[in-house]
Amino acid sequence: MKKKWLALLTATTMVISLMGCGSQAATPTADATADETAPAADTEEAAPADESSSEASDSTLTVWCWDPAFNVYAMEQAAEVYKATNPDFVLNVVETPWNDVQTKLTTAASSGDLSTLPDILLMQDNAFQKNVISYPDAFVDLTSSGIDFTQFGTSKVTYSTVEDKNYGVPFDNGAVIACYRTDILEQAGYTVDDLTDITWSKYIEIGKDVLEKTGKPLLSCQAGETDVIMMMLQSAGGSLFDADGNPDMVDNDILKEVMNTYAELVSSGVCIEVNDWDQYVGSINNETVAGTVNGCWIMASIQSVPEQSEKWAITNMPKLDKAATATNYSNNGGSSWAVTSNCKNVELAADFFAKTFAGSVELYETILPSSGALATYLPAAESTVYTEPQKFFGGEAVFAKITEFAGKIPSNNTGVYYYEARDAVAVAITNLVAGADIDTELQTAEDTVNFAMGK
Amino acid sequence: MHRAKKRFSVGKKQNLVGWLFLTPAAILIVLMSFYPMIKALFLSFKTGIGTTMTWTGTTNYTRMFQDKVFMQALNNNFLYLIIQVPIMLILALALASMLNDKHLRFKGLFRTAIFLPCATSLVSYAIIFRSLFAVDGFVNTILIKLGILNTGYNFLTFPTSARTIIIIALIWRWTGYNMIFYLSGLQNIEYSIYEAAKIDGASPFQSFWKITVPLLRPIILLTAIMSTNGTLQLFDESYNLTYGGPANATITMSHYIYNMSFKYVPNFGYAAAMSYLILILVGTLALIQMKVGDKRD
Repeated sequence: MKKKWLALLTATTMVISLMGCGSQAATPTADATADETAPAADTEEAAPADESSSEASDSTLTVWCWDPAFNVYAMEQAAEVYKATNPDFVLNVVETPWNDVQTKLTTAASSGDLSTLPDILLMQDNAFQKNVISYPDAFVDLTSSGIDFTQFGTSKVTYSTVEDKNYGVPFDNGAVIACYRTDILEQAGYTVDDLTDITWSKYIEIGKDVLEKTGKPLLSCQAGETDVIMMMLQSAGGSLFDADGNPDMVDNDILKEVMNTYAELVSSGVCIEVNDWDQYVGSINNETVAGTVNGCWIMASIQSVPEQSEKWAITNMPKLDKAATATNYSNNGGSSWAVTSNCKNVELAADFFAKTFAGSVELYETILPSSGALATYLPAAESTVYTEPQKFFGGEAVFAKITEFAGKIPSNNTGVYYYEARDAVAVAITNLVAGADIDTELQTAEDTVNFAMGK
Repeated sequence: MHRAKKRFSVGKKQNLVGWLFLTPAAILIVLMSFYPMIKALFLSFKTGIGTTMTWTGTTNYTRMFQDKVFMQALNNNFLYLIIQVPIMLILALALASMLNDKHLRFKGLFRTAIFLPCATSLVSYAIIFRSLFAVDGFVNTILIKLGILNTGYNFLTFPTSARTIIIIALIWRWTGYNMIFYLSGLQNIEYSIYEAAKIDGASPFQSFWKITVPLLRPIILLTAIMSTNGTLQLFDESYNLTYGGPANATITMSHYIYNMSFKYVPNFGYAAAMSYLILILVGTLALIQMKVGDKRD
């Protein structure tokens, strides 16, 4: 009997110790995460390595963002700016890729345990509406927090506004630019001015000529991705949803024109389709194409080939021919800062933003030259740093130009079901390029989105 | 105390000790695996966005049969299953019996070479296949150099070729894995049986068909069930190699479930219901395979 009890005891101990392993393992992991972030946040000498977000002291803010050369850097510089007036302030940046931010946010919010979230996280503008509406309790309303949202471009603020409440501080700019290789255009007898303020039909006309004379298409696109479609759509103020949030595709004349234009771009050979992002960037860097149209953040990829310096020029994108509201300006990508409900010191976070991203021209002057982080904060555009000529782009003051573009972008309504709609349109455009009928395809796309919305 | 001890025979006592050793693992499995599964079952009867969910009975289960994308994903999964699994298993069996030959030299080298794809990460091999079949990728370069094509063929933008590439990738990745099972099974077959068959004048094909296949039946059954299970849960290839495209032509059920939870407006109830359909399908197919394949008397 004694032996039996002993065996039972041993077994129980084993079970308990195993379970103990599980919970113990969690703690070192959390520490490890904090440790890893320490080098990233090495500008903050005072950052204690073992401090996790949940037990942050009063003057500490933890932030999730993803790009060390871009938004992490910008955040650290902002901390420096803020520290000048608040010496106790400590910023703890945890480098987290966007997909992980989304997954962690989904997990934390749907389990109802927000304690794993940081104080501040960077969110893709396209996912903002979805996340705030899905998890209203996870975010802090910043409308009356002292941050002046009127200082940002309207189209940008719209992304992070839900039911007239501001949930996000706008950060980077996704203003669309058209980039062209001036040397290739020259071979075909064109200059950048010929491609400025033009329509898509003119673009296709020139594109065919360039293709014939140099063998290079003007544009490359990722097959099955709708970036170009969405850019064209927004350039005319169009959306995939109406004002009430219902999918609006079948009777959407702007969308139809966009889809037909895209199909023509592909069928004429002016645009070549590639399979993934690396091939897309490759086609630009390897001179497979003579230009591209994308958010201004694409400049970082273009500039990765130093030999092509002075061979690039930037101008605005082509506009739609028929749509009455057509412009040469649009937006693609971009992100905004959100404050989570796990933030213990919302006043500090709000004050931090009010004095940095929403109040410091100096901050934007610091981050622009080294990271190319273009502001959506309008007063920054008047800074002299923005008017400095950029050698790579033919000695033009491209940053001032893009900031000017940014102010002219029509607003668009992403809606909550943005990704569903985007994927449905991607299916439609793939079939359209393969020869399907546009009305049938749009009907299917609208049905798909309606179905996803449970209608 | 002594009397109490006698209540258990040796066999019973050993049994009890065995159970005690099993308990820790069993408790962990129940907590980590079965408990979430039961929670997911409850979840699959609820619907709503994010955290705001309400009970809706079996709506999610009827909903998925009206969902065109999910139906397409289901079709894709079965297409992979019907085409890829038989090819892979036959190939693995053939390779295993070839490599089991006693007179073959550099056996270890061949075995390692065929098994090696299994050691590659799912994500990296999918990405490598994608670049192999890119417009300016390796395969197109070869085809152009050989004069078969004039310009690069964009394999991943056409439904049939994209599906074919997924099937080729799967065969490359998993044949070696199944071969190892067959090889270990073959070690249990007495070599003298083959020698006897040879003396009786059986051709290599006959001895394969009449000796190897029947004696390996339990292992063939095991690999068939595992492959069916794996194919129905396929995710990495669809997610990384083709992104589910062109126009959802290669999307799998697991990929769609992932989108439903993490890319789209989260609908965990519906996602859980779809996961349960996969469970039911895997269970049913395994049951059928066991009924058909297990011929023990």
